[in-house]
Amino acid sequence: MSGKRLDAPHGSRIERTRRLSFEFNGAPLTGFAGDTLASALLANGVQRVGRSFKLHRPRGIFSCGVEEPSALVDVGVGGRRTPNQRATLVELQEGLTAVSVNCWPSVGFDLGAINSKMSALLPAGFYYKTFKWPNWHVFEPAIRRMAGLGRASGELDPDRYEEVAATADVLVVGGGIAGLTAAVSAATAGARTVLLTSGASLGGSLGWRGDTRVEELVARVERAGVQILTRTMAFGVYDHGLVCARETLPQPATLPQPGLSAGGVLRERLWKIRARHIVAAAGAFERPMLFPNNDLPGVMLAGAVDKYAHAYGVACGERVVIAANSDSAYRVAESLRAAGVNVTALIDRRLPVDIGATVAGVRVLTGAGIAKVSGSRAVKSCRIIATESDGVPAETLECDLILSAGGHAPAVHLHSQAGGKLTWVEESAMFVPDGSAPGLSSVGACAGIFDPAAAMEHADAVGRALASGRAPPPATVRGIGRSLAATHVHGVVGKQFVDLQNDVAMGDVGLAAQENYRSVEHLKRYTTTGMGTDQGKTSNINALVLMGEFTGREPAEVGTTKFRPPFAPVTLGLLVGRRVGSLYRPLKRLPADRWHEERGALFEQFGSWYRPAAYPLPGETLQTAAQREALGVRRRVGILDGSPLGKLEIFGPDAAAFLDLMYVGTMSTLAVGQARYGVLLNENGIVMDDGIVARLGEHHFWVNTTSAGVERTTAAFEEWLQCEYTSLRVAVTSVTSRWGNVTVAGPAAWKLLAAGGFDASFAPQTMKHMTLRSGALDGVPLRVLRASFSGELGYEINVPVDHVEELLQRLWSHAAEFDAIPYGIEALEIMRTEKGFIHIGTDTDGTTLPGDVGFARAVDRKRANFVGRRSLLRPAALDPNRAQLVALSPSDGRTQLPVGAQIAAAMPPTQTEGHVTSSYMSPSLGAPVALGMLVRGSARLGERVRVHHLGTTIEAVVVKAPFIDPTGALLSAAT
Amino acid sequence: MNTSTELNVEMAGLSVSLDRSLSVASLRHFAAGAGFAGDIIGAPLPERLQAVAVASGILAWRSPTETLVVSQDAGRFAALEAGLVGRTDVSFVDQTGGIWIWRITGERASEVLARLGATSAIPAVGHALTSRLAELTVMALCMRAGEILLLVDRVYSAHLMGWVRETVADF
Repeated sequence: MSGKRLDAPHGSRIERTRRLSFEFNGAPLTGFAGDTLASALLANGVQRVGRSFKLHRPRGIFSCGVEEPSALVDVGVGGRRTPNQRATLVELQEGLTAVSVNCWPSVGFDLGAINSKMSALLPAGFYYKTFKWPNWHVFEPAIRRMAGLGRASGELDPDRYEEVAATADVLVVGGGIAGLTAAVSAATAGARTVLLTSGASLGGSLGWRGDTRVEELVARVERAGVQILTRTMAFGVYDHGLVCARETLPQPATLPQPGLSAGGVLRERLWKIRARHIVAAAGAFERPMLFPNNDLPGVMLAGAVDKYAHAYGVACGERVVIAANSDSAYRVAESLRAAGVNVTALIDRRLPVDIGATVAGVRVLTGAGIAKVSGSRAVKSCRIIATESDGVPAETLECDLILSAGGHAPAVHLHSQAGGKLTWVEESAMFVPDGSAPGLSSVGACAGIFDPAAAMEHADAVGRALASGRAPPPATVRGIGRSLAATHVHGVVGKQFVDLQNDVAMGDVGLAAQENYRSVEHLKRYTTTGMGTDQGKTSNINALVLMGEFTGREPAEVGTTKFRPPFAPVTLGLLVGRRVGSLYRPLKRLPADRWHEERGALFEQFGSWYRPAAYPLPGETLQTAAQREALGVRRRVGILDGSPLGKLEIFGPDAAAFLDLMYVGTMSTLAVGQARYGVLLNENGIVMDDGIVARLGEHHFWVNTTSAGVERTTAAFEEWLQCEYTSLRVAVTSVTSRWGNVTVAGPAAWKLLAAGGFDASFAPQTMKHMTLRSGALDGVPLRVLRASFSGELGYEINVPVDHVEELLQRLWSHAAEFDAIPYGIEALEIMRTEKGFIHIGTDTDGTTLPGDVGFARAVDRKRANFVGRRSLLRPAALDPNRAQLVALSPSDGRTQLPVGAQIAAAMPPTQTEGHVTSSYMSPSLGAPVALGMLVRGSARLGERVRVHHLGTTIEAVVVKAPFIDPTGALLSAAT
Repeated sequence: MNTSTELNVEMAGLSVSLDRSLSVASLRHFAAGAGFAGDIIGAPLPERLQAVAVASGILAWRSPTETLVVSQDAGRFAALEAGLVGRTDVSFVDQTGGIWIWRITGERASEVLARLGATSAIPAVGHALTSRLAELTVMALCMRAGEILLLVDRVYSAHLMGWVRETVADF
C-alpha cells in the first residue's frame, strides 16, 4: 500500500494552495487544508497508524468516517491532548500533533505484540477462566498497564466547553441529500427546522462527488431559513424528543498556551435540542469482508477508498484488489478506475447468477474468496481460492491494497435509541428501520433507500408530512442491490477478524456459540465484539450473521444488540461543560462571607453550604481552633453565623393541625411566643429531620429545620399538603434566604447582646428558654429564639438578611469586653456531642426510628396521629434488638474513637453490634466523647464494648448522656 | 458576599446587572383568598405562567397558590401587609434580600439564557417561567421586549453570575 496524491480535479474537499504542516509520531509531514488526519497520512504513505487492543497487531486506516475501528490516535499535547481520536474525523490543522496509541516503544516495534504470538492462549473470554490463582489482584496491575488505548492527559484541560439549549419543530440529523431535502420541505411548509451535520460541509457522498443537485439543495436550505449546524454530531436521542449533539468548534491557528491568562479557547459545544419531530438521515456503513489477515494495514473499506480518491485526492494504493459479496463493489470499482486508480481484480463470493451489477475494464472472479493475505506489516499479495464448486482456480494476485465490500448496514442507531424496531432485508443482507420510531423518522440510506432520486422523493414527503402534523410515509428499500449475508471464507487458515478494535475473530464467535451463548447480547459481552470505542459499527452485522450460522439461525432470528447513546465517543469536557472549578456545583453562600473572611474563617463545605468550620489563629489547626472555640463559648460567649438554619413560615387556618401531623411533638398546644422541639418522620417512620417550631400567631408558625434539611422538609410538607391532606388550608413558605441568623451562646451571651443594644425584654430573666420574641433593633425587625444546640445560654437572632453583617459587626464591636469569639461548625459539633444532642444525618441514617434516638416516650405520649406513626408498629420497629443511640467513653480516658468504627465482640469481619457516629475531644472534660448506635444500647449502660477500626481495637464504656451539664443548668447560667 | 456593581456584566448587546432597588414578596392565597388578594393589590392576580404590570410593580405567577410581588416601593409592602391583617386565607411574606433580581437587557439576552439552561426558560413578554438555569431554580420574567428579570435565591446568586460571566466570556 503506497498512498499518493491524485491530480486535480480529484480532491473536492482539499485546498491545494493551503499546505499545512503536522506531526505524526514525531515525524514532520504535510497535508492540505480540508484534509483529515487520515487522508493526510494516507497521502504521505503512512501505513501503520496504531496497534490493536488485545493482540497489538499493526493496524492502518480502515475507513473514512466515524466507524473507524483501527486508526485511533491521541491528538494534541499537554492538557489539550485528547485520547482515542479517530484519524478519519480529525480535521487537519497547522501544527497538529498526533501519536499512535497502545504501543511501546513505537508503532513499528511494539513489545506488546508478543500477545499476538500467544493469541492461541487468548481466545474470547480467556479472562473469565484465568487469573484466578492465587488471586486476581496479583495480575491486576500488569493487566491494567496493558489495557486501554490512548492516555488521558494528567494536566488540567485549559480549554472551555459550553452547552446550549434549543428547540425545533423538525430536527434533521444528517446533511446528505436526503437530510437536505427533508429540511427544505419541512422548513418550506412552515416548520422551524434545524439541520445537523457532523462534517464541515453539506451534501454527503454526492457532495464530494460534485453532484449538482447538492449545490441546488444547499441554496434552497439556506433560503428556507433552516438553521444549519456543521461539525455537529448527534450522539444521542433521549426521552421526549431530546437530541444531544456535539459541535466541534474551529480552533484558532495559534492556541493560547496553557496556564496563561488567556484561559484557553472554547473547544466544544453541547447542543441539547428538544424537537417535536426528528428526522434521521445518517447514511449507512459499509460492511467488511472476512478473510485471513483481513486486519493488515492495506485492507480498507471499498467506499472509504473511493471517498479518499474523490474527496481528498488520495490514491490509497497502486495495485488494488476488491473482495466483495455485494453489487456496490462494482460501483466502487468503476469509480476508482475513473479516478485513475489501478483496480486489478474484483473477487466476488457470489456466482454470476446472484450478481446484479457489472464493471468494465476490471477482471472479475466470481465464486471466489481470499484464502490468504501475505505481508507481515502491510499487504503484498493475496491468494484467491474458489468458494463455490464451480468457482475459479486458485491463484495469487500481487497487490498493495485490498478493498472490502461486504454490503451495507444502514445507520439505525438513532432510530434504535428512540425505541424503533428493525427488520432484516434478506436480498440486501441488512437491517433497516421497521417503520418510524416514536418521534423519529428515517430517510435516505439509513432507511434503506440508497437510490438518490428515491431518497429525495421520500425525504421530501417526510419533511412535508412532519411539518403539517401528518404521519410520515413509510420507506421502501431501494437502490442498494443484492448482497450476501455471509462475508467469511470457510476452510482456510488464519484469523478472520470480525471486530478489528477488540481483536475478535470468527473463531471467537464460534467459541461463544460452542459454549452455548445464544443471545446476541451475551455474544457481545463474552467476546467483547462491538464493545470498543467504535461500538461495532463495522462488526456487529458480521458477528450476528456468524452467530446465526454457528447456531443454525437466520440473522433476523439472532437480532441485533440494543444501540445506546452515545453514537460515538464524546469528551468528558463536553458533558461537564461549565461545571468546573467554582461552578462544579452550586454552593450556598452566607450573607456575611466578607465578615467571616476578615475574621480569618476557614471555609469548608457542609452539605450545600460553604461556611466557616473554624477561625484558626496563627499556628492553629482546624482541630485546635475548634477546641479553643468550644471552650471559649463554654467559658464566656461565642458568635455563630447560623444563617443556613432552615426557616419556614407556616400560615393558614389549619397550620396548627398540619404541624401536629408532621411532627412527633404536639405543636397545636403552643401558646403564641412559645417554641417546641420536634422530630419529623417520613411515612416509613424514619427520622428525616428535626427542628424547633414556634408560634407567631394563631394561624402563623415559624419552623426551624436543620441547615441541610430545609429543602427536603419543605418538599415533604408540600407533598403531604398536595397529595394527602388536600383539605387543609396551609401555606408553606421558605424564608431561609430572607432571614439571616446570628447565634450568640455562652454564659455571657446576654451581656453581649445588652451591650449591643438589645432591650431588657430579651434578658434571660424575662425571656424564657424555648420562647420566640419579635422585636426590633434600631428599627430593624428581629425574631429572637431562645434555644440552644450547644447547651449554653443561647439566642438565635433572626434578622433580615441584609442586616446580618451589620448585626455581627455591632456585636463584634463589644467582643473585647466579654472575650467573645466567633466560632464555627466544628466547635458547635463538639458542644452538641458533649450534650448528647443528635445531628440528623450524622447520628441517624435511613433506618433510624425515633425510638432509636431517644424519642420513644414522645411517641408514646402523643395520642393524635402523625406521619410515620403506623410504621412504628411494624415488627421491625418493635424489634428489641434495634440499634439505639448511646454515649461512649474510651476506657483509657484518652483515645478518641474514630467515627465509623465498628462495635463488635471480635475484630470484623464478624457480626457487628453498632458503630460510632460522632466523636470529639471535649475541651471542657479534657477527654474524648462519642455517640454511637448500639444494639439494645439503652439497656447496656456501664457495659464495656470493643470498638474496631482499621485493625486496631479500643475498649469503650457505654455511659449516660449528656457528658456535661446533666441538669441543664447552663441554659440559664448567665454571668 | 460581594453585592457591588463589579458583579455586573456590560458588553456590546448585553447588560446584566443586579437590581437592589426592587423589593420582592410572596403572596400566598387559598382558593377563596385569591380574589381578596387581588382586591388588595388592586389588580387581578396573574394567570398561570403570566406576569402583569400593576401600579405598585409586577405580579408574577409562581404556583397555583403563590404570586410574587415585585415593587420599587418598599413602603407599599407595609400597606399590603396591613390590608391583610386578620385574613386567614391570604399571607404576605416579604422576601426582599432573600430573592435577588438580575436585570438582563440587550439583543443577546435570550442567548445567555439558552446557554444557562434551556430555551424553554426564555419568557415571552408578559410571562414568568420558573426553570433550571445554571443548575439552579430561577424565575425568568419579561415585561418588555429585550429585558428579562432573573429572580434567584440570594444564596445561589454568586453561582448564577459566575456561570453568566463564564458564558459571556465566549461571546
